[in-house]
Amino acid sequence: MKPSELFEQVYETASYTESVLHAHLELFYDEGLKLSKESDKRYTKNESLGLLDGIPIAIKDNINIYGYKTTCSSKMLSNYVSPYDATVVTSLKKAGTIFTGKTNLDEFAMGSSTENSAYGPTKNPWNPDFVPGGSSGGSAAVVSAGSAVASLGSDTGGSIRQPASFCGVVGFKPTYGTVSRYGLIAFASSLDQIGPITNTVDDTRIIFNEIQGYDSKDATSITPEYTKLENKKVKVGILKELMQEGVSNESQNEVNKVVNLLKEKGHDVTEISLPLTEMALSVYYLIAPAECSANLSRFDGVRYGIREDASTSYEMMNKTRSVGFGEEVKKRILLGTYALSAGYFDEYYGRALKVRSKIITDFKTAFDKVDFILSPTTPTPAFGFGEKTKNPLEMYLSDLCTIPANLAGLPAISIPTGLSENNLPLSVQIMGKPCSDYSLIDFAESIEEMVEFNFSPNLLKENNES
Amino acid sequence: MSENFNIDDISNLASIELSEDEKAKLQKDLQIILEHVDALKNIDVKDQKIDIHPLSKVLELRKDESKESLKHEDAMMNSPETKDGHFVVPPSIE
Repeated sequence: MKPSELFEQVYETASYTESVLHAHLELFYDEGLKLSKESDKRYTKNESLGLLDGIPIAIKDNINIYGYKTTCSSKMLSNYVSPYDATVVTSLKKAGTIFTGKTNLDEFAMGSSTENSAYGPTKNPWNPDFVPGGSSGGSAAVVSAGSAVASLGSDTGGSIRQPASFCGVVGFKPTYGTVSRYGLIAFASSLDQIGPITNTVDDTRIIFNEIQGYDSKDATSITPEYTKLENKKVKVGILKELMQEGVSNESQNEVNKVVNLLKEKGHDVTEISLPLTEMALSVYYLIAPAECSANLSRFDGVRYGIREDASTSYEMMNKTRSVGFGEEVKKRILLGTYALSAGYFDEYYGRALKVRSKIITDFKTAFDKVDFILSPTTPTPAFGFGEKTKNPLEMYLSDLCTIPANLAGLPAISIPTGLSENNLPLSVQIMGKPCSDYSLIDFAESIEEMVEFNFSPNLLKENNES
Repeated sequence: MSENFNIDDISNLASIELSEDEKAKLQKDLQIILEHVDALKNIDVKDQKIDIHPLSKVLELRKDESKESLKHEDAMMNSPETKDGHFVVPPSIE
């Protein structure tokens, strides 16, 4: 199939699925078709730029693509046009990738369901009565629905892996610092990481390979020295704290299923305990809001975004931020402002940083004994719209299993393994040592082959039958 | 610890104007979260050092070299109001 034919096929799927899902905020049809025809010519002349040349990929709408809007699904940036490319976008452009468009998210990537998007929620391709997860809900839904071959998301506390799990696709959060964050609108800078969402683990490897690497434009960027596994038989730890009350039997059963398959193949599986992971949610909900309150102070109605009219600058800023931000964003800014305020800094933010460091040390110790840590990706399969919006903690708990990897900067991948009783996808998560990204991907691929997840969303079946 | 939380003070510090309805809802939600994070009080963090970068990387500044950057007009193109290459804002003093 020629790139332009693939692009037309993906666009045709989008024209059907978008009316149900609302996963893309903007589609780049004209530009995409033009670029895919240029890619056709390169293939004809045997001058292909590589494996990603002509591949349609969707980009989360908090990542800048020059000349296009980057709204972060916020009213605040409803009129913002990117004046530059994010480094990951530059890398993908060089590889000949075609962008299908920008995908929906929870406002400024704060949420776990895309219900916080100022432009309306995205729906789950497996059942539109359920959320696709978040914050990269649009990026996961487009891959699951076939309206893009792959996508980029960002993951601060699980925002790639949790929606990937809810939508039955692969989601990868690389080691912190291996993929440049330049051009990603910052939420919590010590936690944010860009990564791919794909149909297969191999696709993840190909995209990660293209976007990883040191970037002087990101002060936290590292020059990765990737580790390799010596043995084909690996040691896997099952994290006890994520296999107990608070995590559904259905989610735990997926881990047990994978454990049995691993044992059959001769891998060494043991239970490990990291008691402080039970504190991860509390640590996260102090550090992430604190960093968000600082990062989002730049939205003041002066340099970009909307502006509310007022007679003084101070009044203008207060009104602009009141109108521009949605409820969840305001909540986190206020929480972070409080945690950083005089008299409370040490008690909240300072203490959270210290407990985070203890968690990092605990993971280091655990990885002296095991190569990988296996857990459910999410405590439950996808939930219904409005089900977790009344109490903030209930929503936050859906990131229970994914937050620890962000706190410790670890690479972590979610792969679909089965279906729940009500036919929604379930996944397992595998975490690796820092910079074990490629061996983690290899190991995930071996599990992918073992579990043979061959299901597809009802939406696609309906489309094919019509 | 959370009993000292004053929504008016914090919204003022954060420069976000809130309606009375918003104040009531956010106050309630923030109390729930602050009660949850209070669990951290029970962790012994005496003498614990802090990692600024999760992989303990020392943050570096770029070399002080002049390089091509965003054009002035591109950097300002998203501003609600500009004049002669400057941002325009309402008066700071009434």
